[in-house]
Amino acid sequence: MSSPETVPPLRKDRLGGLPLRLKLTVYGVLMVLAVPFIFPTWWMITSSFKPGNTVFSYPPQLWPSDATLAGYRQAFTLQPFAQQYFNSMYIAILVTIGTLAVSSLAGYGFARIRFRGQNALFLVVLTGLLIPSEVTIVPLYRMFASWDMVDTHWPLILVPTFGAPSVLATFIMRQFFITLPGELEDAGRVDGLGRFALFWRIALPLSRPALGAVAIFTFLHSWNLYLEPIVYLSTRSKFTLPQALTQFTDAYGGPLWNVQLSAASLTVIPVLVLFVIAQRQFIEGLAHTGLKG
Amino acid sequence: MRQSRVLRFAAVATAGLLGLTACGGGGDKEDSGPVSLRMTVWSSAAPHLALFKSIADEYKKTHKNVTDITFDPIPFDSYTTTLTTQIAGGKAPDLAWILEGSAPDFVSSGALVPLDDTIAKTSGYDAADITPAATKLWKDGGKLYAYPFSTSPFGVFVNTDLLKKAGQPAPADLIKSGKWTWDQAFAEGSQVNAKTGKAGIVIRDFDYKLWENLSTIWTGWGAQAWSADGKTCGFDKPEMVDAMTRLNKAIFTEKALPGPGTGADFFAGESAMTVAQISRAALLKDAKFGWDLVPLPAGPKGSYSVIGQAGLGVFKQSKHSAAAADFLAYFTNPENSAKLAQFFPPARKSQLNVDTLAKSNPLLKPAQLQSVVIDGIPQGVVKPAHSGSAELSQSVRSALDPLWKPGADVKAVLTSVCSAIAPQLSK
Amino acid sequence: MSHRTESPVGAPAPTGTTPAPPPRRGPGFWTIRRRDQLAGYLFVAPQLAGTIVFVLVPLALVFWYSLHEWNVLSGTFTFTGTDNYRALAEDPKLPGVLRATAFFSIGLVVTNLALALLLAVLLNQKLRGTVLFRTLFFSPVVVSLVAWTIVWGVLLQDNGGINGLLRTAGVHGPNWLRGDVTAMASVIAVQLVKNVGLNMVLFLAALQGVPHDLYEAARLDGAGRWRQFRSVTLPMISPTVLLTSIITVVGSLQVFAQIAVLTQGGPGTSTTVLLYYLYQQAFPFHHFGYGATISVLLFAIVLVLTVVQWQLRRKWVFHEQS
Repeated sequence: MSSPETVPPLRKDRLGGLPLRLKLTVYGVLMVLAVPFIFPTWWMITSSFKPGNTVFSYPPQLWPSDATLAGYRQAFTLQPFAQQYFNSMYIAILVTIGTLAVSSLAGYGFARIRFRGQNALFLVVLTGLLIPSEVTIVPLYRMFASWDMVDTHWPLILVPTFGAPSVLATFIMRQFFITLPGELEDAGRVDGLGRFALFWRIALPLSRPALGAVAIFTFLHSWNLYLEPIVYLSTRSKFTLPQALTQFTDAYGGPLWNVQLSAASLTVIPVLVLFVIAQRQFIEGLAHTGLKG
Repeated sequence: MRQSRVLRFAAVATAGLLGLTACGGGGDKEDSGPVSLRMTVWSSAAPHLALFKSIADEYKKTHKNVTDITFDPIPFDSYTTTLTTQIAGGKAPDLAWILEGSAPDFVSSGALVPLDDTIAKTSGYDAADITPAATKLWKDGGKLYAYPFSTSPFGVFVNTDLLKKAGQPAPADLIKSGKWTWDQAFAEGSQVNAKTGKAGIVIRDFDYKLWENLSTIWTGWGAQAWSADGKTCGFDKPEMVDAMTRLNKAIFTEKALPGPGTGADFFAGESAMTVAQISRAALLKDAKFGWDLVPLPAGPKGSYSVIGQAGLGVFKQSKHSAAAADFLAYFTNPENSAKLAQFFPPARKSQLNVDTLAKSNPLLKPAQLQSVVIDGIPQGVVKPAHSGSAELSQSVRSALDPLWKPGADVKAVLTSVCSAIAPQLSK
Repeated sequence: MSHRTESPVGAPAPTGTTPAPPPRRGPGFWTIRRRDQLAGYLFVAPQLAGTIVFVLVPLALVFWYSLHEWNVLSGTFTFTGTDNYRALAEDPKLPGVLRATAFFSIGLVVTNLALALLLAVLLNQKLRGTVLFRTLFFSPVVVSLVAWTIVWGVLLQDNGGINGLLRTAGVHGPNWLRGDVTAMASVIAVQLVKNVGLNMVLFLAALQGVPHDLYEAARLDGAGRWRQFRSVTLPMISPTVLLTSIITVVGSLQVFAQIAVLTQGGPGTSTTVLLYYLYQQAFPFHHFGYGATISVLLFAIVLVLTVVQWQLRRKWVFHEQS
């Protein structure tokens, strides 16, 4: 704010350029701010190699002094961790694919097709944005109980794919499809394409950025679900990762910190690596969600 | 077509929901087809599960229609929540362990099958052998709704190496000279913390949340959470105020117990003593330190003992409740009760002797069994139990939180506990 | 809210009505227009059906259950009229719960939007390494929520990593999760660091969408950096600010795992937010009817907040597309 530049330089390309002092300040601020973002992950991964009783040792060890894989081994022996990993993975993938299908269809329908009652129906769908699925957890629970689906993965697949969480995806897809120029489809129509073909061959290929954003949102949402699994699931081999992570205790319920941290690292590292590799697509995909207003 | 799917969904939804009756079907009395049974337990200890499985395998040999018996470990933390959620979802197990705290809820609810008839017709069961004190909590209207398979006294596990290192006398010697009191225990814990940096005394599983476990202390002051009829709050009584004042001092002034939010595991050698049930001895199998098990120290009101109970019940919702009750009777018959005794002290008079217990309990010495288990059970005070236990427990826990800081106004906090739980006690 | 939905129809999309393409052969009844109508319904059907089954029917049932008392153990479901609502109004815990909810939501939303905007502005400068920092600040978003919370839970213990670090610096840290104020601050901070990257990225995209010539014009008028920010940047990104604030507010009311893992609503009830209280009542205490009543309250709060924010848009948001 105390910029020395009061006289505007007119070089167009240097608009964001900063004087050196300010530049250093910005770097300094960024580095201080970055600490709480990096430290927990760093600490989790290094501590996962520590023997159980040194997690709380003082002074805190930033690097395990005698590294051990015991925590990792125990993670798999105390619980069917591989199975739980698979559960989380396949549920998240199914939900992501399902949501992409449901939301791109609906988004397209609301954006590009005119039909009677469209606005009213869109409003009906939008209520999903207002009613988080947590609000309806009690009736949803009873509903799935009456369908004999409690302690199965169905509630964790069906509700996110068709219910409230997918509405945001539909909204994003609709906002995107609205921006597509109509001429593209007109050309397709001349070639005699039907509605579905217009959607499938013209609109969908163009909507990759939006689909990418929806996919990321949806995957992370499903991957992070916690309330729903602890409500619906009670068999260990059916648990999902978030639920399993909190259950690494000795036989009498005492927490095993190093095992928890090992298991936590195992859930975090693959996604983190994937993210770092594809961070540009990841972040820019999200940035173009149509949430810009 | 999608529209018809919508309609079908809607139809199922309405039919399923509006007409939903929460009650499950009663069990069919005579099971002939293949039966599979599920029992929820809160222990995932491998030796426990192996023992259960061996009993189940024996049972299946003589009961060909029972094809499968599974033991389903549910984490202790969320055990009762998970169990009731399963019941609400129509997925009740056939048999379940029930915590003493929630016994009144389950026993009076009508969710369980009375066991008396099954037990009566099981040959060699010898129901008269079961001590009446043990079954008191599990009876309603004269009927037994759950069998107390475990009546486990609390004792103090001691890390003798750590005490020696801190130059403190062994509790076993103090007992001989009649000096094993809470004041002495706190003093030793305080010394251990000061000299070794390790924790002094850990009330196992309390962790400033499960306050019920503090009854192992306040009973020594003659205090109780509420009166025997469950109507009158006991937290604001002078005995309780004295006990909690002493505890607060021990935690925050003497540092005899680790403060809130500090992890310390006795079984990993991180504390000198821990108050726990004897079934935890299994955790000491590979202990790298010398240890002992002694009774709870004496309080101002003299020596005492506290027991935790666990019941085993059969759900009405179960499709095979008759078969489940039959298995329960087998699981707890004299022969199997003796086997279970190595982890879960039985409620049978004939088995409460050093010989029976020592046979199945290689980790504990006869003297330890005598002083903690056999002398402990008859005079034992059961941990607090009340109907509406989950909510009541949470209310007490919230109201007790202000107590866990240095110089807390103990009297005021305990008075607020009573006003917080008054509406629930009067229900 | 109707103007939001008018845009697709009012938009130039020339589908259906413009008879540009030659009419396709087919049965007389199935004109293009009719086929399109049908296609429209079919396209939106899965989402619509899902919304009805998994959102609207359960919402109606929430109201229905809130008029009942359901005892899980004895299996009774009895109509009790407005008893649950009366109990809610008289619930001695409710004021504390609402206060905690308000503290949490306001604390989170304010810090989240402010930090996201600050980071976005910093990263929008032409500097080396901004991509690296952007990746760092965003990375907690992809970390599993419960893993993240568990790690913070260990770090925030009295003898955990944070106090250990403070102690090496000669500071005696508080027992974070056991003090009323510090517990709430911890829960907010954990959630803030976890998710601020998302809003940061959205703000960054919005900042990059601000036309450069607007800044130039402002400079020509002699505006300094702060003035430029106030009179060019903020108005131009205000639609994004509005949308992210709605999402963040509604999201802040859905926070559950953090509370369940870090504090279980304590100490006392200082971090018992509405959703956690709902869960406690419905599941551990198995008061399903009363839980549904709390759901109704939660729904009403979400509804009111969203409508208020949407109304504020007129005053607040500089330009409206459409």
